[in-house]
Amino acid sequence: MEIDTVTNGNSDAVMTETAPTITPSPVVPSSRSSQLTESLKLEHQLLRVPFEHYKKTIRANHRSFEKEVSTVVSSVGDLADSDWSKDATVSRLTSLVSRLQGLKRKLEEGSNVENLQAQRCRARIDHLDSVDVENITEWNNTKLKRILVDYMLRMSYFETATKLSESSNILDLVDIDIFREAKKVIDALKNREVASALTWCADNKTRLKKSKSKFEFQLRLQEFIEMVRVDTAESYKQAISYARKHLAPWGATHMNELQHVLATLAFKSTTECSKYKVLFELRQWDVLVNQFKQEFCKLYGMTMEPLLNIYLQAGLSALKTPYGFEEGCTKEDPLSQENFRKLALPLPFSKQHHSKLVCYISKELMDTENPPQVLPNGYVYSTKALKEMAEKNGGRITCPRTGFACDYTELVKAYIS
Amino acid sequence: MELKSIKDAFDRVATKQKLSYNKTNEIVHMLSQEIDKALSIIKESPSDTVLDHRSIISDVKKAFVGIAPVTQLEAAEKELHVALTKYPKVLEKQLNPDISKAYRNNAEFDTHIVNQIIANFFYRQGMFDIGDCFVAETGESECSTRQSFVEMYQILEAMKRRDLEPALNWAVLNSDKLKQARSDLEMKLHSLHFLEIAQGKNSKEAINYARKHIATFADSCLPEIQKLMCSLLWNRKLDKSPYSEFLSPALWNNAVKELTRQYCNLLGESSESPLNITVAAGTQTLPVLLKYMNVMANKKLDWQTMEQLPVDAQLSEEFQFHSVFVCPVSKEQSSDENPPMMMSCGHVLCKQTINKMSKNGSKSSFKCPYCPTDVDISRCRQLHF
Repeated sequence: MEIDTVTNGNSDAVMTETAPTITPSPVVPSSRSSQLTESLKLEHQLLRVPFEHYKKTIRANHRSFEKEVSTVVSSVGDLADSDWSKDATVSRLTSLVSRLQGLKRKLEEGSNVENLQAQRCRARIDHLDSVDVENITEWNNTKLKRILVDYMLRMSYFETATKLSESSNILDLVDIDIFREAKKVIDALKNREVASALTWCADNKTRLKKSKSKFEFQLRLQEFIEMVRVDTAESYKQAISYARKHLAPWGATHMNELQHVLATLAFKSTTECSKYKVLFELRQWDVLVNQFKQEFCKLYGMTMEPLLNIYLQAGLSALKTPYGFEEGCTKEDPLSQENFRKLALPLPFSKQHHSKLVCYISKELMDTENPPQVLPNGYVYSTKALKEMAEKNGGRITCPRTGFACDYTELVKAYIS
Repeated sequence: MELKSIKDAFDRVATKQKLSYNKTNEIVHMLSQEIDKALSIIKESPSDTVLDHRSIISDVKKAFVGIAPVTQLEAAEKELHVALTKYPKVLEKQLNPDISKAYRNNAEFDTHIVNQIIANFFYRQGMFDIGDCFVAETGESECSTRQSFVEMYQILEAMKRRDLEPALNWAVLNSDKLKQARSDLEMKLHSLHFLEIAQGKNSKEAINYARKHIATFADSCLPEIQKLMCSLLWNRKLDKSPYSEFLSPALWNNAVKELTRQYCNLLGESSESPLNITVAAGTQTLPVLLKYMNVMANKKLDWQTMEQLPVDAQLSEEFQFHSVFVCPVSKEQSSDENPPMMMSCGHVLCKQTINKMSKNGSKSSFKCPYCPTDVDISRCRQLHF
């Protein structure tokens, strides 16, 4: 059997080698390695979060050491200025010695924690450094697991998050402990308690102030509303003195909100006035939970949205074609799955500047190395697949979609630019 | 991106942290030394004169002023502080500080759907423990595909042990569907079984097996069958025969791959996890989108309502599931209304473009924009990719 791949079955096909008059700019496929570098740039959160944690520990430790040292110094000063007996002086000094010893211990412990956290920061940098073209598949699998753990932690699915991280050996690459800290506050807020959220605000006072956060104010407002809700003479008195102490300082910057909320004193929790009714709704606590999550993410340099959602959105858009929604779409396309279609529905379609043809038979790309061939009925398949078919069947070709049969020699090459 | 500059910046932080620790340690040590010294002097001094121990204490106080511990601590912290502020800046410069810039807030995902996708992913990967844990923790309804994947992994586990029976049972049961999908899985499995028999026992049994199970594939796989039967001539010396390829573990790997693909396809699933594919596609798309956002930062851009991405994500081949034809002249993607048409010279344009070039058919021929051919409109024909 002879297969002539070059001859164009068409007699008047004058395919000379003359350069085409219009040459569309060729697609420059970004090489694998530059693609890799680009994808590493998406990992800001991976490096930032443990660092913020590390920094927080360093700062807190330093502050407490400084405080201890200056207390010791001033105690000695006081001692020198006062009139104690010898025994009393000795016992004072001894207690200062043991205090310094305690400080030394704390210093040691603090440094151990700091070193562990530094190690975690390093492990993540090394993780980014470890990827290359050879181990990329495995690395990407780990990446997907990291992204899933991030999703679960944000949704408070701690059990699965821990299990998955342990079984995949990625504990150093995920932030379970940090989210546990958040969980305490979230759980308390869900139980309508603000105390732990306020403690958290106090712990992160400077950072929150810097980002002009009003989260603490919102917590205070909620506490105020809860006092009004109780609806007794005593509680109103309490509410007013609370407002004087905790709300008034925010007046300078947030007067409107302050006025708005304070007017609840005039409305009872049973009010029908819609503007005030909403303030008494228990849903407000969920708003606080969400607000907390946002503040928390900002503080640690995390994205507001779970990484999974960001990646899925981008991926779904890039994969979204009108063909994916058609009946009989190849099952290999994620968009053939009902759940993925639903997620992709509000997202934009992909855009392609250049033709990309996939052989129906072999699913391989048809390009200059494997050019498309046209059957007399207008159906197009790749040269490789048709050649293979012809070899098996004594030069005959059967169109898999229409059943049309012809000879291999009847095929015509199509030129796709 | 320079990972090295990130590393260097972090090393600076770690070094300064160590210095600061040493400094604090040193100061605490000095302070306790001074106090210890004073204590021993007081204790040893025989008389209980008030003045004496007071003067000692004021010596300690002076010494403390000399050490100036608080000032020293502050100085150490200042140096550390510089390194601590610099590192996040390096990160922001070298990496994309906020990938959510490419996120559309108006396309909020339904948590249930996302959870179902994740549960399905765990089962799909054979991580049944974690999948079950996830389903329980999220309170989602039981995943409908779980049982099917359990069976799939049983078949695959058996294949790992070189036990083909479960795989063959499944393939025979789904023989018609496999043929429809033009899969040669059944033949692949039978060949493997045949080779196992030929290797282990006598040729006669192998021949019987071939007659019974392999002969029926003569239509589609004649050359393979010929090779298989021929390999019997070398019987137990296959490794030194022209058929040594039959010993390659690649045959088994291919069979495992094909079985996974067919099993998933019959379930209505892709052979690769769709979650994996989508996130991988997202990884390639995000840098392109973010770059675009940066360039267009000052332009008013309605990213939230766009119906088509503003840029070509240029995904690599493995993500191309459909033929997309873009008319090289009009730059539009072909559709049912505007199908691709091949001209007599073999170049392909969209129907609308051809209509335009022929002035809606008023001209019976026009010149191909890519070669010197005069194109006869009546000979343009529609293509189906």
